[in-house]
Amino acid sequence: MKAAAQGPERGFNPKTAARRATPGVEQFLSRYLTVAFLDPGQQRTGWRDLLALFDTPVQQAARRDLDALCLGTAATQVKTVRPGPARASVIFLYQGGRAVGATIKLAFDGSADVGQGTGPVRLRSVFQLLWTTKGWRIASYQSQTGASP
Amino acid sequence: MRRPIAALVTLALVGALVGVAGTVGVTTFLNRSDAAPAVTVQRAHKGAAAPSFKGRITFLVVGSDSGAPKFGRGGAAERGRADSLHLVVLDTSKRQGVVVGFPRDSYVPVPGYGRNKINAAMAFGGPSLLIRTFEQLTGINIDYFALTSFDGLTDLVNKIGGVRVNVDMNIRDRVAGAFMNKGPQRLSGARALAYSRARKTLPGGDIARSRHQGQILVGGLATYQAQVAKDPARVMKWLAIMNDEVQTNLPIREQINLALFARTVPPSRLNNVVVPNTTGTAGRASIVRLLPGAYSLFARVRAGQSA
Repeated sequence: MKAAAQGPERGFNPKTAARRATPGVEQFLSRYLTVAFLDPGQQRTGWRDLLALFDTPVQQAARRDLDALCLGTAATQVKTVRPGPARASVIFLYQGGRAVGATIKLAFDGSADVGQGTGPVRLRSVFQLLWTTKGWRIASYQSQTGASP
Repeated sequence: MRRPIAALVTLALVGALVGVAGTVGVTTFLNRSDAAPAVTVQRAHKGAAAPSFKGRITFLVVGSDSGAPKFGRGGAAERGRADSLHLVVLDTSKRQGVVVGFPRDSYVPVPGYGRNKINAAMAFGGPSLLIRTFEQLTGINIDYFALTSFDGLTDLVNKIGGVRVNVDMNIRDRVAGAFMNKGPQRLSGARALAYSRARKTLPGGDIARSRHQGQILVGGLATYQAQVAKDPARVMKWLAIMNDEVQTNLPIREQINLALFARTVPPSRLNNVVVPNTTGTAGRASIVRLLPGAYSLFARVRAGQSA
């Protein structure tokens, strides 16, 4: 993951700030990719664990956009997903000495076993993250799954 | 030492004569002991709930003639005269909005002060009286108040890399320091300020100036959206830029929501108008009287139209 940080002009070390905030976001993305792609059984719960990663005001929209955010309706046919490379770049926003927001560009590729064969799994997303009392949450997103347009 | 400040809040609209502002800015709380904040963004009403960001949000964007030491204008911006006045209404559900400029000499009822020039309201009673004056005049509820000064406008515009504006006339105004040809161009902070201030040499005088100030606001929003469309990470960059320039008491969640909200209304669907008016006198003072069309305009905005 490539990381950078934006903060106040004075007394701010972007490299140190980015390094400090990176583990938390890596953990968040790992959780995201796990529930969105590696556990097709999430579909049976209505993607509850995935939606929990979104800030409350955008959960309803995310529920409508599941096909662009995770396996979505295709999950019923997927037995397993073999993860391929995941790449992310993140820009943190610092205020008051801590990361309070972040923009993440995420790319994930893998392959899905669908019984009669395999198919590609692909995600290209931009997430605007907000630090909340529950940890990082997605406040806004642009996301696409499937083949590139 | 002054309390830290910084927030991030609006960035988008910056502008005006004294003008100006930012609808989306950012702030943090840092320990700053030197310069006063160039721009202030706050909720219009203390204790009011944050807007939902799903419908319409209204900003009162004000440029003060004070609080600009770099331009030799001392005093606190919030106690100066409000010489640049714009209501900015953004409607995310309709993806449209309106910027309504008010000439500073608009002669209107000021609560507790009879009829007076609208730009005196802030000097009489601070931002809260100015907000009440606007709400009483227009019947439009204001969600946010943004205040800036000469310093604030120039600093902010420079930091975002200038604003792109279609200058609508050739201007040669020595008083404002505005020398520019008609046509689209990127204005630096100093030139944006000059464009926002030029009045005496313009056909239409204060009306043209108010329209130009609205252009700067829309240009700020357009600049923000263009940069974010190119690179979504620019949201954080803009918020960080605002960090040192904007004082706000808004929680970070609200600041980021404002920044995200400001992406949703295309500048091409923002109608920049000046409230219908005519010039006149009150005693020996030159004033601007609002025409009946002004009240029709307010009614249309209240009804959710973009004027």
